[in-house]
Amino acid sequence: MIGGSVSKWTMSYFAMGIAWLFAAEALMIAGFGYPAADIAASGTLVLVHVVAIGWLSMCICGALLQFVPVLVGKALFSEAAALPVLGLLTAGLIALLLGFLALGGRLPPWLWLLPLGATLLVAGFGLFAANLVLTMWYARPLAAAARFVLVGLAALGATAALGTSFAWALAGYGGSVLNAVLEAGIPLHAIAGLGGWLTLTAMGVSYRLLAMFMMSPDVDSGRSRTTLLVGAVTLGLAIAGGLAAIAIQAGLDLVFVLTSICGVATVALYGRDVADLYRKRKRRVLELNTSMAVYAFTSLAASVVLGLALALRGSFAADIGAFVFLIGFGWLSGLVLAKLYKIVAFLTWLETYGPVMGRVPTPRVQDLVVEPRATKWFAAYFASVWLATALLLAGQAPAFRVAAFGMMLATAGIVQELLRTRTLADVTTNARLPQGAKLPRLLHS
Amino acid sequence: MTPDVAQIREALRVVIDPELGVNIVDLGFVYDIAVAEGDVRITMTATTKGCPASGFLKEGVARSAAQVDGVRSVDVVMTFEPAWDPSMISADARAGLGFASVH
Repeated sequence: MIGGSVSKWTMSYFAMGIAWLFAAEALMIAGFGYPAADIAASGTLVLVHVVAIGWLSMCICGALLQFVPVLVGKALFSEAAALPVLGLLTAGLIALLLGFLALGGRLPPWLWLLPLGATLLVAGFGLFAANLVLTMWYARPLAAAARFVLVGLAALGATAALGTSFAWALAGYGGSVLNAVLEAGIPLHAIAGLGGWLTLTAMGVSYRLLAMFMMSPDVDSGRSRTTLLVGAVTLGLAIAGGLAAIAIQAGLDLVFVLTSICGVATVALYGRDVADLYRKRKRRVLELNTSMAVYAFTSLAASVVLGLALALRGSFAADIGAFVFLIGFGWLSGLVLAKLYKIVAFLTWLETYGPVMGRVPTPRVQDLVVEPRATKWFAAYFASVWLATALLLAGQAPAFRVAAFGMMLATAGIVQELLRTRTLADVTTNARLPQGAKLPRLLHS
Repeated sequence: MTPDVAQIREALRVVIDPELGVNIVDLGFVYDIAVAEGDVRITMTATTKGCPASGFLKEGVARSAAQVDGVRSVDVVMTFEPAWDPSMISADARAGLGFASVH
C-alpha cells in the first residue's frame, strides 16, 4: 500500500474483471447462451454469471476497496483481506460455471460443483462485505453515499443466500423448501443482484465520484436519503414479499407490480439527483468519464421505458433478455467502463508521481490520457450495445452476434487505452518519469 | 537565516492537485504558514476528506518546504475545518480552469 492511500489489489480486480468481460463477449459472439439458447438454459446461466460476478462484481469490489475509504474518510479495516477475496471469488465462479456446464450435460454430472462454487463465493463475498462493514462501522456517522453501499451489501447477502439455495437444490440436496424457492425465486435472485447489489452500489459510488470529478456540491443528504429509502423499500418488497408469497404458495404478480412501481420511483429520484450534480458542477467542460457516464444513465432510463413498454404490451417475460441485457451492458457496464477510464488514470498518477510530489514538477492526471482517441471506442461500445438490444427485441439472434463482435472490438479499444494510461505511454511532457519515480506495475499497485 | 512565509509559499507551488493541474497555493489549499526561527508549521486542506491524493499532497508540502534555505523542521497539519470550497481558488486560476462562477 503506497502512502496509506492506494489499495494494492484494486488494479488486479479490474484486470480480472476485464478478462471475464472479454470471456462474456466471446461467448455471445460464439452464440453460447441466450439468445441462441433458452433464457433458462445452462449456457445462459454461464453467460449471466460471467457478466454479473466475473465482470461487474469484480470491478465493483475493486473500486469499493479503493473508494469506501474515500466515502467514509477512514482507512480500510483490512488491506490484507483483498487478495484472499479475489482468490475465493475467482475459484467460486469457476466452480459455479463448471457446475452449470455439468447441469447442461456439457460435462459429466458433477453437480456437487454448484454448492462448492456457491460456498466459495459466499466465503469471498462474506469476507469482502465484513471488511467494508467494519470499515464503515469505525467511521460512523456515515455519509449518504456510504449508506447506499451498505444497502447494496445487504442485497449482495440476499443474492448470495438465494443463489446458494438454488445451487443446493439443483445439486439434488434441496428438500421441498429449497426446491420451492428454486421453482419461483429466480427473479428475486436477479432483482437482488442486478437491482440491489450492483445498481444501488453503483448509484452510491457515482454520487461521490461525480461530485469529486465535476466539483459539484454533494447532493443534499435529505434528497439522497429519500432515493435510498425508496430503493431499499423496493428491495425489501421484492425479496421479503417474494419469499413470503412463495411460502404461502401465492403468485408473485402483485410483488412484481409493487416492485416495479418502487423501482421506477428509485430510478426517477436518482435521475433527479444526478441531473442536479451535472447542473451545479463547477467544472463546465466535462471529462470523458463524466460525458460517457451520461450514456450509461441514458441506458438506465431507456431500460425503465423498455420495461414499462414490454409490460404494457404483455411481452415482458418473452423479451426479458433484452431488458436485462440493456441494464447489464448499457447501464452497469457502461458506467463501470467510463469510471475505469478515470480511476485507472488517477491511481496510476498517484503511484507514479505521488511519491515525488514536492520534489519535482509533475504532470496532471489528464496528461496520462488522450480523450479524443478514447471517445470513439466508447461511442462504438454504446452504439453496439444499443444495436444489440434492438436486435434482441427483433429476435435476430445471428445479427446479435455481429453486434456482440462490435462490443468486443470497442472493449478492446478501451482496454488498449487503459493499458497506455497504465504504462504512461501518452505522457509527453519531460517529466514522464522524473528521478525517484517508478513505472507502476501493470496488475497491482 | 530565518525563512519567511513568502519564500515557503512560493516553494509550495511545485505541489499540484493532480486532478486540476493547478498548484495548491492558487487552489487555496494552504490555510496557514507559521514560522518560528527554522521551524515551520503549515496548515492545509484537500478537496475531499479521505481523498487518496491527500496523503501525497501532505508529504509533497513537507518535502517542498524543507527545501527552502533555513528551514529546520516542517510540521504539516491536514484539516477539513473549514471545508475547502472552489470559492477559495484564486481568480486567475479559476479563469484558467474554465470554472463556472462561484456563488
